[in-house]
Amino acid sequence: MRQPPQHRIAEDAIKAWRITEVIVMVILLLLVIASFIVGHFFDWALWIPLTALAVWGVLAYLMIFVIPLVRWRRWRYEVFDQEIYVQHGILIVSRTLVPMIRVQHVDTKQGPILKRFNLSNLTVSTAATIHEIPALPQEEAAALRDQISELARVDEDDV
Amino acid sequence: MMSEPRRLHPAAVIFSVIKIFKNLIYVIFAGVIAWFGNTTFMYIALGILGLTIILTGFSIVEWLRFRYYIKDDELRIEQGIFVRKHRYISKNRIQSIDLTQGVIHRILKLTKVQIETAGSGLETEASLSAVTFSEGEAIRRELKSNQSLVDEEQDESEAVEYPKRQISFNRLFVAGLTSGSVGVIVGLVFIGFSEIERFIPDSAYDQAMSWLLSSAVELLIFLALVVFILLYALGILGTVIKFGRFQITRYDTELFITRGLLEKKQMTIPLKRIQAIGFKQSLIRQPFGFGTLYVEIAGGADGQSANARTYLFPIIRYDELSQFLQTVLPEYEAFPEQVQAIPRKANFFYYIRAAFFPVVALIAILIFLPFVWYVPTILVLLAVGLGILRRQTAGYSWDDQQLTLAYRDFSKDMVMMKHNRIQAFEKRQSILHKRQGLATVRVSLLNHFAGRHVLLKEMAESEVDRLSDWYSLRK
Repeated sequence: MRQPPQHRIAEDAIKAWRITEVIVMVILLLLVIASFIVGHFFDWALWIPLTALAVWGVLAYLMIFVIPLVRWRRWRYEVFDQEIYVQHGILIVSRTLVPMIRVQHVDTKQGPILKRFNLSNLTVSTAATIHEIPALPQEEAAALRDQISELARVDEDDV
Repeated sequence: MMSEPRRLHPAAVIFSVIKIFKNLIYVIFAGVIAWFGNTTFMYIALGILGLTIILTGFSIVEWLRFRYYIKDDELRIEQGIFVRKHRYISKNRIQSIDLTQGVIHRILKLTKVQIETAGSGLETEASLSAVTFSEGEAIRRELKSNQSLVDEEQDESEAVEYPKRQISFNRLFVAGLTSGSVGVIVGLVFIGFSEIERFIPDSAYDQAMSWLLSSAVELLIFLALVVFILLYALGILGTVIKFGRFQITRYDTELFITRGLLEKKQMTIPLKRIQAIGFKQSLIRQPFGFGTLYVEIAGGADGQSANARTYLFPIIRYDELSQFLQTVLPEYEAFPEQVQAIPRKANFFYYIRAAFFPVVALIAILIFLPFVWYVPTILVLLAVGLGILRRQTAGYSWDDQQLTLAYRDFSKDMVMMKHNRIQAFEKRQSILHKRQGLATVRVSLLNHFAGRHVLLKEMAESEVDRLSDWYSLRK
């Protein structure tokens, strides 16, 4: 179990995540601009909106350029007959084992951004937890969903 | 036998009114306190009176419209005033049937019947708030007849003796003594007193105050002591009432628990719904080796709040556990004698985590309010103490089938779970952990409605890997 899972998620995930982050950061930027305007009318010291801008700059750099890349590198998954093995995390790396017999249902989901890249997110739910494998190529996600739900179809053994 | 649709006992109306008022009590209380003695108070009182009449009428109609019967192996319930709701619950789907008797129930020889299926709803699937006790038992017999439950009491004379355990009075007393409920009661009394103060006439209040202030210190201490002991006795009484006559019986496929002096509760726990068992020791109980034994079960068992634990035994000593489990729940092996401690390298993480916020507070206080430096200092010392305790408590142990994890927030909690009840297993490692060769384990279980995640922080990484090999089904 010491080896990390083998498969990576789609490389387009980085682009898709970057677009999402850009949208979030633009909204935040509007707030920062608003703080300049409000500051102008209420005579705030100039350092307040300037700090906000600086914080925004650092945040934007991290969120748009660094984190999606690291996140993509970390995300690994592997589906065996008996269990699903997932690795993710940026500062804290976590590796999760989900036995097939515990899987209750599998979903695939796709938002507008992922759709542009033909990607979908796959989520696996047990009775107590939810696990995600994000940004898989559409067809692969569908195939994996069918495969998992097939494998999970074991005799019901009370939850 | 019960194929005719029938109504609940008329007392159900009382319970429904009481239930509505219970929800409104704070609003009413606030109203009474705010306007007491005012002219407005009359209107408020009238309002409450009117509300009572309306609610009672409403409850009566509700009662008239509520019917239940058992037909074709199904419990059928029809209810609702404007929106009619029919609910059919198949006998095979029923997981447990609990009978609860409150004080009023007991006076009128009634019982409340709560029926649970495996569904994950927050509420009980079906609840009959008042039927006669004999009928309650009949319902239970009817709905369970294809299962192996032998009815208690009547069958005691039969050859099959099912193992059972009862609580002794001494134990009950110890449970009350160490329950820590006195703290809660003291708090309530203080809050209550600050409100009641308004109703005490000024002159009487002043007189009492001046008498108190002029009395000798010894007398004051004595008085305080008397009050404290009285409150403590009240706390013990509470525990005695709640857990008095506690008895757990092991049937073939389920556990049967009865408890309570005033409010009598009977509940069944099907064995196959048990997800894990745990032993919790509060700081007061741990030095004496006492603790409570509880189970994590799938689906709502109490039909109550999510954190209401289901006790297998309200107070038991650690060294008695193996014998207890052997009689009542032999499916589980006893808790391990000793758990494997986590490595020394973990100390740093435990101390820092516990002390971080108190230290931040200390620094802030030293800057802004240096004259109360001792408050955060004590806090920091306590936090470090807690960190040390947590580190000492943390431990693990596993064999073929069972994993035991011990950890502490404030109370020490040992959770024992079967391999096939663990929903997911996670190994977490930060960069700092990696350097030290440590990792955190997170094990997910199913309990009442969602999951419970047991974390053991900073195990040795090699051990975590061994444990994940143990959990992995892929050999």
